[in-house]
Amino acid sequence: MNKIAKLFVTFISAITLALVSFTSSFAKVEGEYIVLGSAISLTGKYSSNGVHTQNGYNMAVDRINKMGGVEVQGKKYKFEIIYYDDESNPKRAAQLAERLIKQDGVHYMLGPYSSGLTKAIAPVTEKYKIPMVEANGASRSLFTKGYKYLFAVLSPANQYLEVAIDLAVEKNGGKGVKIAQAFEQDAFSQDVRLGILDAAKRTGSEIIIDDKLPKELNDMAATLAKVKAVKPDVLVVSGHTKGALTAIRQISEMKVDVPMLAMTHCDAAKLSKQHGKKSEFALCASQWHKNLSYKDKFFGSGKKYAKDFQKEFGYDPPYQSAESSAALLVFKDAFERANSFDRDAVRDALVDTEMQTFYGNIKFGPGGQNVAKPMILFQVRCKGDDCENRVVAPTKWASDKFYHPIPKWSERS
Amino acid sequence: MEKLKQKDLILYSGLIILGLAAPYLFSAFKVQLTYLCVLIVLAMTWNLQGGEMGYNTFGNILFYGLGMYLTASVQVGMFFPLAEWTESGGEKTFVHTTAQYFQGIGVGLLVSAIVPAVIAGAIGYAILGLRGHYFAICTLGLGIAAGEIAGGIEIIGAGQGFTTPPFPAEIVDTEARGKFFYFLSFALLVGTFIFVKYIYGSRFRLILNAIRDNEDKAEAMGIQTMKYKIVGWMCSAFFCGLAGGIMGGLIGYIDSTDVAFDGREMGVFMVLMAILGGKGTLWGPVIGATLFHFFKEGLWTLILGWQYVALGVLIVVIVVYFPEGLMGWLREKYPERFGEVIDEKDRKAQVELK
Repeated sequence: MNKIAKLFVTFISAITLALVSFTSSFAKVEGEYIVLGSAISLTGKYSSNGVHTQNGYNMAVDRINKMGGVEVQGKKYKFEIIYYDDESNPKRAAQLAERLIKQDGVHYMLGPYSSGLTKAIAPVTEKYKIPMVEANGASRSLFTKGYKYLFAVLSPANQYLEVAIDLAVEKNGGKGVKIAQAFEQDAFSQDVRLGILDAAKRTGSEIIIDDKLPKELNDMAATLAKVKAVKPDVLVVSGHTKGALTAIRQISEMKVDVPMLAMTHCDAAKLSKQHGKKSEFALCASQWHKNLSYKDKFFGSGKKYAKDFQKEFGYDPPYQSAESSAALLVFKDAFERANSFDRDAVRDALVDTEMQTFYGNIKFGPGGQNVAKPMILFQVRCKGDDCENRVVAPTKWASDKFYHPIPKWSERS
Repeated sequence: MEKLKQKDLILYSGLIILGLAAPYLFSAFKVQLTYLCVLIVLAMTWNLQGGEMGYNTFGNILFYGLGMYLTASVQVGMFFPLAEWTESGGEKTFVHTTAQYFQGIGVGLLVSAIVPAVIAGAIGYAILGLRGHYFAICTLGLGIAAGEIAGGIEIIGAGQGFTTPPFPAEIVDTEARGKFFYFLSFALLVGTFIFVKYIYGSRFRLILNAIRDNEDKAEAMGIQTMKYKIVGWMCSAFFCGLAGGIMGGLIGYIDSTDVAFDGREMGVFMVLMAILGGKGTLWGPVIGATLFHFFKEGLWTLILGWQYVALGVLIVVIVVYFPEGLMGWLREKYPERFGEVIDEKDRKAQVELK
């Protein structure tokens, strides 16, 4: 036993030495680099959207660095990001945020992917007074907590599909509609649900199916069987990328006829490519679409951004990438206006942000959410086998008319 | 227990001093050290069940998750309406005063120790009649079911999760929170270790071992195996619940399947750590958990995206080369250091027999 104890003591002292000699070598600004930190879901259930987010960040970092970087007190700085993989797990994300701040000495954070993870990280950044610009945490409750260092470039989750209900009511001659809804058990999707509940109340609509879907979603046949039986006017589904893919797959397999299908994450799921014609007429909420006419000097227009992104990463940018790129533009702008690396000065500059980016106008409300940009809806439309997302609402940006109702499966070729 | 040898005394006091000094020495690593304490506690309590009693359980995560939800619920519920706290993903904000926060977490931890232990007793009564693989599979279901059920209960936040009370804002020191949770978990670790060490010197452990080695014989000897199995599991649950409660407060956000009833990670880790160190030994789980945590924190970020592949390889290596864990391996190599006497003649005879 004693020998073992000795061995153990040796082991512990070795570790102690290793830890003591490992002192934090990074700093908020290192040489010509401004170091940002981010925990991103590179593995786990959010991995595809995590990668979209990371690509968005990287694209903007490259672009800003190439175009002269960030000018603070007459000196040019470049952005650099330290990434960790949070494994799509809030526990890990909170731990990594702590690690980025305490061990890597990061003073400015970029958000993770998804509301749940942002909810886990926000208390940490708040505690250490670290400004965080996040692009993928839309849950409304993030913005009612009085967080002072949290800034979101996107619209809150409850706004995602409210417009769709308004649209359905409008098509129904202003009368309330019957809504069937199914949402994944996670912070974001449940917030989208709250938005629908509000819209239903406001328009006098009735919710006839209200299902919760498990995480790691790959089956919703039970909900669809009910939909077939009760025939609602609108079917609303939200469950990140997997939710969108599962819904289209099973709706087409089960030949579920519903006049209107509203979803989230269609573009992240590359729905129009993956499922082609089967996904036609699906209505999708989006933070951004490349056809919108916003502009900035770094990426030009949305179309130009999409083209450059396609060249760099080989696929059309979903809004998750666009908003992530925008987060960097916001940071750059704030650093330059603050003209300082003081965290509170940067934070105060972020509060006063009012700018246009290719992704949309950005101005932060009192809770930190972006109040200057509306949500849009697009509809998947096909010409032959070639399917595309076309913007149908709001009318200001609409390139196409909203097609309603969805033809029955028996009538679709 | 009665005759702590001098060397042991030095070892223990050394470790305790190191533990107390750690948050000051490695200030930046406080959160990781807290995790380490919790991981060691989980590995040790799993070892009681899986190592000593031979009942491999994947269900201990149930008690950990329960502890987490209970502590947070009590901490909120004592002062504010819980339903409003969690409504709409926690939109409304209530603020705990410093006194409320600490009172809440104190009572919460008490509840999170007792309730899981009682539940372990009840479930144990129902399922500890199963043996071997049947028991393992049955407990695997427990954690998964609990996660899905918790995800549907509105009052604890359902799918939107439960934001635990933030650390009181009146305490300005940003390090205070980290220190508080570190010392809490360190105290838990010390408590658990003393308890397990006590068990190791007791008749209770011999009974657990007898159950592991041959339950039927143990029963034939007049031991009421069911009673001891249940008590054994309740001991595990008691400390698992406490560990969960502390983690909930530390993480600050409880999600039903990813944080609380996280069978895929914590549930597997606790088994892995105990096996890595050597199950059925006092120090095995401690060493296993420490090694595992360092492996995880040190290497995982270097192999972004591949860490689970590395973990898989690690599991295979452990199972193939160290089936008895590090302690078991050492014991086989240097039996005399473990106080085992080897009869050379007998050993040779056995070699010849082979």
